[in-house]
Amino acid sequence: MEHRKIRGNVIDIHVAIQGPSDGPIVLLLHGFPELWYSWRHQITGLAAQGYRAVAPDLRGYGDSDAPAEISSYTCFHIVGDLVAVISALTENKVFVVGHDWGALIAWYLCLFRPDKVKALVNLSVPFSFRPVDPSVKPVDGMRAYYGDDYYICRFQEDGDIEAEIAEIETERVMKRILTYRTPGPIIIPKDKSFWGCKDESIPLPSWLSEEDIAYYVSKFEEKGFSGGVNFYRNFNRNNELLGPWVGSKVQVPTKFVIGELDLVYYMPGVKEYIHGPMFKEHVPLLEEPVVMEGVAHFINQEKPQEILQIILDFISKF
Amino acid sequence: MDLTFDHSFVKVNGIKMHVAEKSPSVVGNGAFDGVISRPVILFLHGFPELWYTWRHQMLALSSLGYRTIAPDLRGYGDTDAPESVDAYTSLHIVGDLIGLIDAVVGDREKVFVVGHDWGAIITWHLCLLRPDRVKALVNMSVVFDPWNPKRKPISTFKSFYGDDYYICRFQEYGEIEAEFAKVGTERVLLELLTYRNPGPILLPKGKRYEDPVSLPSWLTDYDVKYYVSKYEKNGFTGPVNYYRNMDRTWELMGSLSNAQVKVPVKFIIGDQDLTYHMPGTKKYIENGRFKSHVPLLDEVVVIEGVGHFLHEERPDEISKHIHDYFLTF
Repeated sequence: MEHRKIRGNVIDIHVAIQGPSDGPIVLLLHGFPELWYSWRHQITGLAAQGYRAVAPDLRGYGDSDAPAEISSYTCFHIVGDLVAVISALTENKVFVVGHDWGALIAWYLCLFRPDKVKALVNLSVPFSFRPVDPSVKPVDGMRAYYGDDYYICRFQEDGDIEAEIAEIETERVMKRILTYRTPGPIIIPKDKSFWGCKDESIPLPSWLSEEDIAYYVSKFEEKGFSGGVNFYRNFNRNNELLGPWVGSKVQVPTKFVIGELDLVYYMPGVKEYIHGPMFKEHVPLLEEPVVMEGVAHFINQEKPQEILQIILDFISKF
Repeated sequence: MDLTFDHSFVKVNGIKMHVAEKSPSVVGNGAFDGVISRPVILFLHGFPELWYTWRHQMLALSSLGYRTIAPDLRGYGDTDAPESVDAYTSLHIVGDLIGLIDAVVGDREKVFVVGHDWGAIITWHLCLLRPDRVKALVNMSVVFDPWNPKRKPISTFKSFYGDDYYICRFQEYGEIEAEFAKVGTERVLLELLTYRNPGPILLPKGKRYEDPVSLPSWLTDYDVKYYVSKYEKNGFTGPVNYYRNMDRTWELMGSLSNAQVKVPVKFIIGDQDLTYHMPGTKKYIENGRFKSHVPLLDEVVVIEGVGHFLHEERPDEISKHIHDYFLTF
């Protein structure tokens, strides 16, 4: 596996690359609070099948740069980084696989730069339109629906969640989040009860090892969580800036997969959207969405071989 | 004059937009009711102007069968001017225009677009972001400037022209507004609208505006009064905020790095326009680089002896250029 830094959108983006240099590129985009490492199984699997797997640490994460200003984390900044990564590696279109924030960014990459994406496999987060009238801000909507302790609301105030996390071991934070299986919203009351007791160990599932956790811990201890949390702090700003794409469609062939226990599946309107006509209306080249039984949010780590196979089966068509 | 235009207000992208329209009347003829299609031209003004700058083209082209639509852009005239200085990036303005096209023409419809000055810059971005909404474009005065990670706008201007360059002087919130207030709205507008120096606009602090300004033939007292009335009511902050967002827009447009403008374009510029004399522009047009970024650039017209406000200086000539080009689609 090769590790490289690519600069094209003003900052350095760290990428992990594996696979033949002439292989079709598959760009793998992680979510929160993850890293390129979340794709470790798919990277080796894709490379073995002749693809060139490219997994960046997104801006703010791991070994990529993390600008200090919150305003540097709009979806446009992140898509800009990925356009630079793609352009540095190839003139052709690439395959894209996204999960969580990576999936949301992938939708935007397809909207802004359909000239760069051959086909898309997106996990967990379906497409969502900017409403015609932007006067209801997304975070206000979430606050009204779930309350102030909803994790996205708790992430808004600069420095707030960082201070809370600083009082809890990074290892506990990572384990708590990566093992979250409740098919419902993450509510983080200010009493820190969400993180559990210091003496209560958090058992790891079969698909997550102590070494895996140690890798995440080392990177998040070095970088902190602000970079990743800053993505959430731009929900409202993104909404303001997405006016040009009202009514626009994602014109990229797409495969969508979500875990049946994924908290996203239980967010207001999501089930109806995924199974109703609007998803296909907005993404005309969408294949029938797949709901994976018994699987929670971190689907590419929980079911690595199944996800790898889904990716291979889909991209082999193009 | 106002009476010959239809004025309306449309809710777009969270703001209320003032739109002027001049369209041929659709006279019902029984069998043909509602079936007559009138191609739409969207006219986008620049700084320091208004929808009004397009009056000649709107009259001429509507009489040739086009629906002509000219908004006051966000921050200008009778359109809303949001308080927040960072609500004036290209993405905000293009969002307004998509909302406008959806509301006034239809949400799957394409339009012809004519842009000038800031209107031209916005139009380049409109074409980059939503080429599916633009049938063809006549853009004027400002060439397409592809995104460059090494050229952040304000520091680039500063290095070319120094701190007194007007764009640099516009940066500090409230500063130029206070200076303009001292000089007076009418005098400021006259200075800018009659500017004919092919060099850069420099506004050193404490610059005096004492020499008499004579109106050129193409600007009447009535025209000036109209502009002054709107700018006196709303001030210059909205329009100047566009310049205050050039760096912000640049940060966001990395996502459109190396994207080509994929819309058919005719580009017109006056050879006395200060933009024509900006370093590198002539070469950029002549050596093919402009076309490499705008592959469907069909024609570049350089009009001799004409300055920045070319559509006001030579209204008939510009209207003819527009009509001749759009006829081919």
